[in-house]
Amino acid sequence: MNAQRLGRGARVALPLAVALALCVVWEVAVRVTKSHGLVPAPSGIVAAGWTLIASGIIVDAMSGSLERVLIGFAIGGALGIPVGLAIGSVPALDRMFRPVLDGLRSIAPIAWIPMAILWLGVRGDAALFVVAYGAAFPFIVNASLAARWVDRRLIAAARALGANRWMILRAVLLPGAMPMIFTGARIALAFAWASIVAAELAIGIKIAGQGRSVAGIGQLMVETLYVKRDVDALVFYMLVIGIVSFVIDIGLRRVQRRVLPWSAG
Amino acid sequence: MNPARRLVRFIEPMIGIATVLAAWEIASRVSANATLVPPPGVVWDALLAMQGSELPHDIIASLVHLAIGYTTGAALGLLLAIVAGSLPWFAAVIDPFAEFLRPISPIAWIPLAILLFGVGGAVPIFLIFYAALFPIFVGTLDGIRRVDPNLVNAARALGASRTTLALRVVLPAAMPSLFAGARLSLGVAWMALVAGEIVGGDAGIGWRILWYQEFFQMDRVLAAILIVGVLGFSADTLLRMLQRRVLRWQPSITEDAG
Repeated sequence: MNAQRLGRGARVALPLAVALALCVVWEVAVRVTKSHGLVPAPSGIVAAGWTLIASGIIVDAMSGSLERVLIGFAIGGALGIPVGLAIGSVPALDRMFRPVLDGLRSIAPIAWIPMAILWLGVRGDAALFVVAYGAAFPFIVNASLAARWVDRRLIAAARALGANRWMILRAVLLPGAMPMIFTGARIALAFAWASIVAAELAIGIKIAGQGRSVAGIGQLMVETLYVKRDVDALVFYMLVIGIVSFVIDIGLRRVQRRVLPWSAG
Repeated sequence: MNPARRLVRFIEPMIGIATVLAAWEIASRVSANATLVPPPGVVWDALLAMQGSELPHDIIASLVHLAIGYTTGAALGLLLAIVAGSLPWFAAVIDPFAEFLRPISPIAWIPLAILLFGVGGAVPIFLIFYAALFPIFVGTLDGIRRVDPNLVNAARALGASRTTLALRVVLPAAMPSLFAGARLSLGVAWMALVAGEIVGGDAGIGWRILWYQEFFQMDRVLAAILIVGVLGFSADTLLRMLQRRVLRWQPSITEDAG
């Protein structure tokens, strides 16, 4: 298909030029129609970003959100990995619990938000519940696949060489299952990050205009939308959310290659 | 399979469901508070009471959001991928944009979507559109790039036109990775739909959850949450059936990872 491949220079320059041109056209269009404030403009986004970073608002909100993501992710892993390994290695357990787990997995975590608020309150624990719920299922799915896919011949070989149960678990099962579980962790963390934003948005809607302190990036966005009506800041928040997702994905791939060099993905 | 074995296979999933129901019942007894933890029986009654009134309306509204958003997003993603697959300069331009926008989850678009479209059905539809667009674009383009060049050359040698080549050779070969992208994205798309309806919708099952919460009818909230699960499960099952049907020619359709 790629008979006429582009040169390396063109592949970098072309998209950059198009992006720059788009930004200029966008900026000019906003200025000419005098619609800035209703629609975002590139210069406004940069200015809003600068103010938010300088004032520390975004840093506070992000550290709140990221803290909850990491705690929720850890809870999800602590619940999900043992469950996944159990149903992956015992077929009867898999047949008993997979249907009900599939059903629970299909409930979008954000749908739990009213119950989570009722049980844990709006101050952050409700968002934590949503994140942990969302993060648990990628762990379960991948840990169960990992347990099922560990090469039986390796186990047989280890046993033939006189390894006991503990040694098989430590030297064969765990290293064999690690890469798949790590992939699950990557999916879980990405999903956890999307979930926290959703949960904080939903909580923000509930408490918007009540003068409560802003706890995370989602609440900050709701406040920006309904109280401050600052379009440029909204787009800046979106970019920040995207950058965090990007760093999570790339960063964890790097870590995986470093820590688990025997894994392919 | 002999009858006894078949009976066991039938009973096994029931044990899982019964365990969850029992835990739920115990939790509601212990809390002794029908608002905090509505008992399963009460939620079931709520479900039955809802089915005559709002429930069908809400479910249809959500399915309409999903159908419009997903088909338009998937169609555009497919179209862009086919064009990018045949025009290298177009691929060079659009690839970085896709890579740039892809990490921005649909959820992050919710406030801006509310601002641009106003509270209403357009918000969830836009979110689903966005959620479907990039995974399908990236998955299809990836598939197109991995098409065996021998197949393409063989088709060319046999005199296939450009259109025939695209529709009969390249697209089918790209299908597995298209479906992989679609199924991976469905989880986030489904959450975007519910979140969009909760935060910025005026109809649909997500919106209804918040509505019941306003009236503190937690039994109905929980019933609606269960409906979200049933709908999400049906969407995934449907996509899996479609995948199996479209990819009949593939020797083994791998089990879902993620």
